[in-house]
Amino acid sequence: MSLAAAPEPQTLTTRYMAWYRFTRNPAAVIGGLMVVSVVLAAVFAPLIAPYPDHVGAVVDFRNRHAPPSAEHWFGTDKVGRDILTRVVFGFRVSLLLVIGVLGVAVPVGAALGLLAGYFSGLVERIITGFTNVMLAIPPLVMALAIGNVLEPNLVNAMLAITLLWWTWHARLVYRVSKSIAMEDYIEAARLAGASHWHVLTREILPNCVSVISVKTTLDAAFVILFGATLSFLGLGVKPPTPDLGSMVADGRQFLPEMWWGVLAPGFAIFYATLGFNLLGDGLRDMFDVEA
Amino acid sequence: MVQPLLDIAGLNVAFHTYGYRAHVLKDVSLTIPEGGRVALIGETGSGKSVTAKTILGTLPANAAVESGAVRFAGRDVLTLPEAERDAMKGTAFSIIMQDPLSSFNPVFRIGRHLDDVMRFADRRLGRASKEQERTRQIHAVLRKVQLSDPERICRAYPAQLSGGMRQRVLIALALLHQPRLLIADEPGTALDVTTQDEIMKLINRLVAENGLSLLMITHNLGVVRQMADDIYVMRHGEIVEHGALRTLFTAPRQDYTRQLVEAIPPLYGPQVTDQPPVATPPIVELAGVWKTFRERRLIGRGSAHDAVRDVSLSIRQGEIFGLAGESGSGKTTVARMIMGLIGPSAGTISVAGTALAGTVRSEAFRRLTQIVYQNPGTSLNPKRTVGQTLSVPLTFSGLERARHGERITRLLRQVDLAPHYVSKYPHELSGGQKQRVAIARALAANPKIIVLDEPTSALDVSVQKNVIALLQRLRDELGLTYLFISHDLSLMRNFCSRIAIMLKGEIVEEGEPKSVFAAPEHPYTRALIAAVPVMAEEEERMKPSVSLEERRRFLVDAVA
Repeated sequence: MSLAAAPEPQTLTTRYMAWYRFTRNPAAVIGGLMVVSVVLAAVFAPLIAPYPDHVGAVVDFRNRHAPPSAEHWFGTDKVGRDILTRVVFGFRVSLLLVIGVLGVAVPVGAALGLLAGYFSGLVERIITGFTNVMLAIPPLVMALAIGNVLEPNLVNAMLAITLLWWTWHARLVYRVSKSIAMEDYIEAARLAGASHWHVLTREILPNCVSVISVKTTLDAAFVILFGATLSFLGLGVKPPTPDLGSMVADGRQFLPEMWWGVLAPGFAIFYATLGFNLLGDGLRDMFDVEA
Repeated sequence: MVQPLLDIAGLNVAFHTYGYRAHVLKDVSLTIPEGGRVALIGETGSGKSVTAKTILGTLPANAAVESGAVRFAGRDVLTLPEAERDAMKGTAFSIIMQDPLSSFNPVFRIGRHLDDVMRFADRRLGRASKEQERTRQIHAVLRKVQLSDPERICRAYPAQLSGGMRQRVLIALALLHQPRLLIADEPGTALDVTTQDEIMKLINRLVAENGLSLLMITHNLGVVRQMADDIYVMRHGEIVEHGALRTLFTAPRQDYTRQLVEAIPPLYGPQVTDQPPVATPPIVELAGVWKTFRERRLIGRGSAHDAVRDVSLSIRQGEIFGLAGESGSGKTTVARMIMGLIGPSAGTISVAGTALAGTVRSEAFRRLTQIVYQNPGTSLNPKRTVGQTLSVPLTFSGLERARHGERITRLLRQVDLAPHYVSKYPHELSGGQKQRVAIARALAANPKIIVLDEPTSALDVSVQKNVIALLQRLRDELGLTYLFISHDLSLMRNFCSRIAIMLKGEIVEEGEPKSVFAAPEHPYTRALIAAVPVMAEEEERMKPSVSLEERRRFLVDAVA
């Protein structure tokens, strides 16, 4: 029996091509390094921070509002705690928020989007209709409402953000899966007897993974920003837990003389947000998708 | 010696991607005499289009001309300053694009496209032009490409024109500034044969009347016979053979050229294969089938469109039944009804003795019909390996996991693929290999009938030949029945045991290919057959004749 004689086409693996594109993109690599540094700082916070006990309700009034120095690189706050320490631990809260919000919103949104994109008719109309209604609620109003009805704390802030965040993923995955559902290979799988579950999870979902991961990375930046906003408004983390948003809020009262009170946390928010944004953009170029 | 109009000498072009250098043009030399018609033929990826782009100066940024010269009327265009080279575009040489739809911006009217090209070309030449003057010139060129109502064409949006008309506008675009060299990159390939035929005749006439030179880039050797005197054969970036039309086709010196020529299914003559007729009971029967698609609107009455009208046919067991027709004739709708994917609006369909009710595809029905799609690029899931794709029908027909590997290896062997292909992803496969995997997937469900929806139209002829041979062997070995949908009549002549011709939802002619091609009854069949590009003069003479009146009646794009 003769085997097909056609020459092998150029076989560069997708992984190699993606890695090549990623590493040739300075912004993406820098963004990636920034994100890694934030994550490492958050994970190893107790080892990195110079005054780990300043996380709690420590008061050292002799050192209050100390300007940046060798002992306190970014100065101290209104009760004399080391700002660097609190910023490093602040990353923990920010990333916790990201994981909490996106860990729920992304799977829920993706699942609803998949269902709506694959099943046409009633399922599609109900899900897209509901998504559109939820999109019309301003997130800040939602957060205020939940903060007032329940209790303004980190968990409720997460809840408020999550309740609205899934809509973006639902819409994105809906759009992508709807176009993939039209492809010949989906019909072929159905003709081969594949179940809806198989088609959704094995045929369509893998084609959405790149889009979802790009969107999730970009989202991380917005969740950090939004979480900081909520804390700034007093709807998020309660003291004494260090949080970047509430640190900025605290430091604001002593501007402009004690500028270091807002500089470090402000810069930390900027750094983490920029890192996730650059990384997300880099991933988008790497996967070559619209998200 | 007379100086040739275009002289390419020792051209080497390389692309740099992903840190690798791909040498795509290797020492390419080619000359086009003033007024000559030259064809550059070759299969996908042979470097034909790159050659054209080098001449035009539109190579992508990651391509580099490493050595060689492109002399146009004695001047090397590669060394010219950018502005001078830009000024040559459209005036010294211009290109007729391949894709009549994606070459236009859908939000601008046709007139705007033409006027923009005209205005910028004038500006590059340092000429101020008045709008009325340009309009007059545009209208003149549109009339030249046989678009009889230039005013209406200019006002139309691209989507409002038919494919053939858009292709004519593309030709007009190339002719606006009376270039001396016309480069045609597979014109008409995306169109129906009858339209393609009209376009070829038009280009030929324009070249002859205006004394242009033509560089025809194509993979269709039948087209080449009508369009060129001098032929260059390209393979893997090299010119492998060069010669005059007559000698090259009748006595090719290179094996590769011979393979190309032989891979083309003949329409007439002694080389034609006759499939033996099959006298078995029918497995598929359609009686008086209609399919109406209704469009509902929010306001006002919706519209209805009859995609299939009163079709009755029967396909015998073990037959290769060909359904021919141009795009929009309803052949795919018929196939989808037979597969139970859509239900008929009226009439009855029975497959293997059971009448189809609605669109239910039961477990038993799955074993009856499977499909192989036209486009190898979209028929396999890019995120799944060959093995994963093939295991789907096995899993859902209840085969235990442990026996999958053995069955998949056998399936791959049946379609002539080595067992190690099991772990490959679609992007690692060539078009022909993808189509083989698609065939294996169809076989995996153990069907009795396979619908082949133009399975080879996206493949090169030599690959097509192998895939067709494979399909034939599988039918003989497994006793399959094929419903073969295609618009490629010369392929159907050799591959089908019976064919039916569809026009606007109706079957206008049906019979064994031998008799249909020898004496086509319906004028539309005659027009279709007459439009097929063939390889030899003798075949051309054996084609049925079509009167002008008949052509006007049945072919949308025919122009007097």
